[in-house]
Amino acid sequence: MDALLKAPRWPALPGWPLAVALLAVAVVLAANSGAIPLGLADWQALLGGEQTQGAMVLAQLRLPRVAFAVVVGAALGLAGALSQGVFRNPLAEPTLLGIPSGAVCAVALMLTVLSAWAGGLPAAWRPFAVPVAALGGAWVMCGLLQGVARLLVPGAVAGLLLAGLALNALAMAVVGLCTYLATDEQLRNLTFWQLGSLALASWPVVAMLGVAVAGALVMSRRWGQGLNALALGEAVAAQVGVPVVRMRRMLVLTLAVLSGLAVAWCGLIGFIGLLAPHAARGLVGADARRVLPVAAWFGAVLLLLADTAARTVVVPAELPVGILTALFGAPVLFVLLKRAQREIGGGW
Amino acid sequence: MTHHMLLLEEALLTRHGQRFGGFDLRVDPGERVALLGPSGAGKSTLLKLMSGDIVPTSGRALLDGRPVAAMDPLQRARRRAVLPQSHQVAFGLPVELVVSLGRWAGDDGGRWVRQALSWASAGHLLGRRYDRLSGGEQARVQLARVLAQLADVERGLLLVDEPLASLDPGLQLELLDTLSRFCRERGHALVAVLHDIQQALGGFERLLLVSRGQVQADVPAGTAALPALEALFGLRLQALQVPDGGWALCARRLETAA
Repeated sequence: MDALLKAPRWPALPGWPLAVALLAVAVVLAANSGAIPLGLADWQALLGGEQTQGAMVLAQLRLPRVAFAVVVGAALGLAGALSQGVFRNPLAEPTLLGIPSGAVCAVALMLTVLSAWAGGLPAAWRPFAVPVAALGGAWVMCGLLQGVARLLVPGAVAGLLLAGLALNALAMAVVGLCTYLATDEQLRNLTFWQLGSLALASWPVVAMLGVAVAGALVMSRRWGQGLNALALGEAVAAQVGVPVVRMRRMLVLTLAVLSGLAVAWCGLIGFIGLLAPHAARGLVGADARRVLPVAAWFGAVLLLLADTAARTVVVPAELPVGILTALFGAPVLFVLLKRAQREIGGGW
Repeated sequence: MTHHMLLLEEALLTRHGQRFGGFDLRVDPGERVALLGPSGAGKSTLLKLMSGDIVPTSGRALLDGRPVAAMDPLQRARRRAVLPQSHQVAFGLPVELVVSLGRWAGDDGGRWVRQALSWASAGHLLGRRYDRLSGGEQARVQLARVLAQLADVERGLLLVDEPLASLDPGLQLELLDTLSRFCRERGHALVAVLHDIQQALGGFERLLLVSRGQVQADVPAGTAALPALEALFGLRLQALQVPDGGWALCARRLETAA
């Protein structure tokens, strides 16, 4: 408690070496499992620079995939924690609010209706078209949600989720329309987003998302205490001196970047953003300065486990990981609903 | 030269077709002012104009000579603190964290947090989760947060919006007493929205009587204010001597007060 009082910007997390070690162990175990089981010898070959089959599989398939799961999971966990804080709502998971659907909608529009225009982009820009569209879609959706939350259902926990439901339906209707209008090839590109998979793993993508996650962690460090103040309400936060408007703008942009980029490369992966912050809060308490980094860690671990399962349960085929996270995450939502009702009481 | 801490000049707010003000009033350092009036009269709105939470549609609300709503949030937080009516906190933040948020604009450090908690008789709540506290305990913690914000400031402004309404009478008097002493020691002005006439007469030196979005009267607290209060609430009020030399207020409805 003393540490918490004396270092208000960033309280220490004494367990972090253990957390890093656990993540490292999980990474090694995940990299070892798959259609071809690998072991110590393959790691030695990789580190020794030998060109064995096992070393190649590790370097070119498993490690990028595993690293991708870690950064995407961290992005989803962090996005979940940020969204709960910004919307002051313990159930405000980005996929429930429709933020990634906004990204999917923007990408669908770009791949179909605007495909002629997108195809006209200089070749060097084309790889960035999808992430930029996704980011923009997520950002617009955040803006709509804020407007709806402020004007229609101020302060209501369930109201925000219902607004999210409506926006979700709207975005998905647009996606459906795009699907209807799409050509066969466009359709193949499109269906990928509705499932959620980490199959597109590659080092450049891992690096870009890694930079985004690092930037988001810096942002959380800057605004962690501000999010704590926001938990007391927007008015109180402003009264104690928090520049609420600027903070909200920065955090919503961060949230849109994380959600949008995760969608751009992996499609819709739900519930990690709900489970990770709740697990983090259970472990380290509600202080946002602790919850944000720990939620990133939980997100990384959870998605790594889920993706490893998705790769291994139906070998040699693989399941879209989004199906797995929904399968296990949805029941947890019921538990959280029950708990939220108990804690919030009549405030629905 | 007199130093007006807070000055409203024809501050007018129109909202949802309702009109509040124009308010013309000043509050000097160290003054203790109670805002009284029927529900919906505009007391909270007046308080929000004073705190800078809302910007007047026309006219000015000045704190230390500057428009309060346009001040830098950090500087403003070093000059005035606000204790709101309701205390909803999302997520189960620990008590000391809630109080430490009062130190956002000041230096950090647990010293003021502990000190403020003990002023608010809430030292024993250190380490508890805010959302698991009773209503009275939550009110103490919020009071501590506000005390922490202005603990190392002199001649500041403390705005309080009916924070005591839902508490038991003993706690109400205790917290009001803490607030008054805190403000007296630092020369803070205290402006409080109250419902209890007795509390307003006992603990404050000036009453602003508000109804229908206007300040109807600005009177010194004392038995001389009773006629104005009777008109404000539509009540018969009588001051009764009590054996210890003070007096107590007896309020009756007009019809039955023959």
